[in-house]
Amino acid sequence: MQIYLPIAEIPVNVLTILAMGLTVGFLSGMFGIGGGFLMTPLLIFLGIPPAIAVGTQSTSVVASSVTGALAHFARRSIDFKMGGVLLAGGTAGSLSGIYLFKLLSSIGQVDLMISIIYVVFLTIIGGLMMVESVQAIRAARNGGTGGRARGRGHHSWIHGLPFKMRFRRSKLYISVIPPILVGYFVGTLSAIMGVGGGFIMIPAMIYLLRMPTSVVIGTSFFQIVFVTALTGVMHAYENQAVDIVLGFILVIGGAVGAQFGVRVGEKLQGEQVRALLAALLLVIGVRLGIDLISRPDDLYSIVVMSSGN
Amino acid sequence: MAFRRTGTSALLALLTLGAFALGTVSARAARLVTDLSQHQVSIRSNFTGTEILLFGAVEAPQAERAVDRDIIVVVTGPTRTVKVRRKEQMAGIWVNHDSVTYPNVPGYHAIASTRPLEVIASPETLREQRIGIENYEFGDAVATGIDGTQEFLPPDTERDFWKALIRNKRRDGLYLTDPGGVIFLGQTLFRATLDLPATVPVGLYTAKVYLLKDGKVVDTISSPLYIDKGGIERFIYRLAYNNALLYGLIAVIGAAFFGWLASAVLGRR
Repeated sequence: MQIYLPIAEIPVNVLTILAMGLTVGFLSGMFGIGGGFLMTPLLIFLGIPPAIAVGTQSTSVVASSVTGALAHFARRSIDFKMGGVLLAGGTAGSLSGIYLFKLLSSIGQVDLMISIIYVVFLTIIGGLMMVESVQAIRAARNGGTGGRARGRGHHSWIHGLPFKMRFRRSKLYISVIPPILVGYFVGTLSAIMGVGGGFIMIPAMIYLLRMPTSVVIGTSFFQIVFVTALTGVMHAYENQAVDIVLGFILVIGGAVGAQFGVRVGEKLQGEQVRALLAALLLVIGVRLGIDLISRPDDLYSIVVMSSGN
Repeated sequence: MAFRRTGTSALLALLTLGAFALGTVSARAARLVTDLSQHQVSIRSNFTGTEILLFGAVEAPQAERAVDRDIIVVVTGPTRTVKVRRKEQMAGIWVNHDSVTYPNVPGYHAIASTRPLEVIASPETLREQRIGIENYEFGDAVATGIDGTQEFLPPDTERDFWKALIRNKRRDGLYLTDPGGVIFLGQTLFRATLDLPATVPVGLYTAKVYLLKDGKVVDTISSPLYIDKGGIERFIYRLAYNNALLYGLIAVIGAAFFGWLASAVLGRR
């Protein structure tokens, strides 16, 4: 069942896109991740122009993060003050990401940049997660409780920074500079990669900002809703890179898939789930990396510059 | 060209007086009458490419022999500026390096003919008539280096970019050659089918038909063909380009609504 995408200007099989949405939604529900960093490379593999893959994916992340944020709002596990500070950085980051995206696409290097960033982040995060989860699995086998002693670093350099602010919900009194920088960095990545950025922000909130785990996911969802909404609007406005038909199919597939994923995820053990996710990230990262270094079939590529209506 | 045709016509008129009696053919030399199966193609959500049927007839004095008659059909799409980029390996990674920009590249170019072009006419005739993608003028090429500055490329290197452009378009099914694609049904009627792939650009197309006899162009005729997005596809496309901000807001608010809907359905469960 083929459908013609009005902005990407190619026909795609609805069932293929729906199946991809379901699968990525399932995985994101199972692993508790946004899934953007899985979907964007898949769309590119499918032949969707990278810019449209990124732009469309940022809008469909809005849908899944709204669902997530609402769930956490009901559980009161959002630190709105911290979320607001992260959002301030995220807004600036998203805008600079869009600008960088536009600049690089005008000189023909945007595909390369997207690939390199994906390879770097997928292999680093996949590698770290793999090491961590394998250690956790070993510790559990050796009769340990599996709980790691994650001492709260009271002498962190972060505490020396100015502009301190009290975050009651997170039980923190820290400078606003690190959360703004984290938000900025994630916002930039969001605009370039078409992701929410939870996979960077959540570790940064836990290990860098030392936020309590209970509010980390909700707060990150809160920030992602607004940053990806801004990114989506800007990608549509600046780059005409949002395909509403493609986005619609992805959102439907993702929402349904996530339902099943959550149920399966509840039955699996945390360490094994993490090891599985780590393996998945590594596979995609390596695949993209091989594409970068292997000689293309045709060294020449064409791009139609002026596209009117 | 026009000179020669009128001359030939006058001569033929004298020689074939008898033909007048029939009242069906003009006093001129062989003449083309053609039409397309459709003059408007509308790209809708179920568009996966289509076929255009071109049919026509050669109106000729009876005395004229129908042998050595050839038809060439050239369908050309709207022109755009196209950039051809070449990758080079830098630090182990394949990076887009030099590029060449051509201002006047047709988005679609299909040729169908009764026999292979090189058999029908001499290379000079084809060049003169600009038949064949090799004889199409893409305009003044501008070469740019990786740093964005203009540069000079040796003709051979530039020729490689030009070849790559045609190769890429062929691979996408946008440049086609079909020797034998025009079929004569009897002495005067002929037809040709041309494939329009799903990725055809929108705009005004021209279908030009050439009638050749003994390797010389005897008559030509052009018909327009308009390809546009239709229905909802057209509405979405227009909105995305003409009201980009509104379009972006609709996309994002729509996504947020679906997110809320999913959570509402979940919450009730």
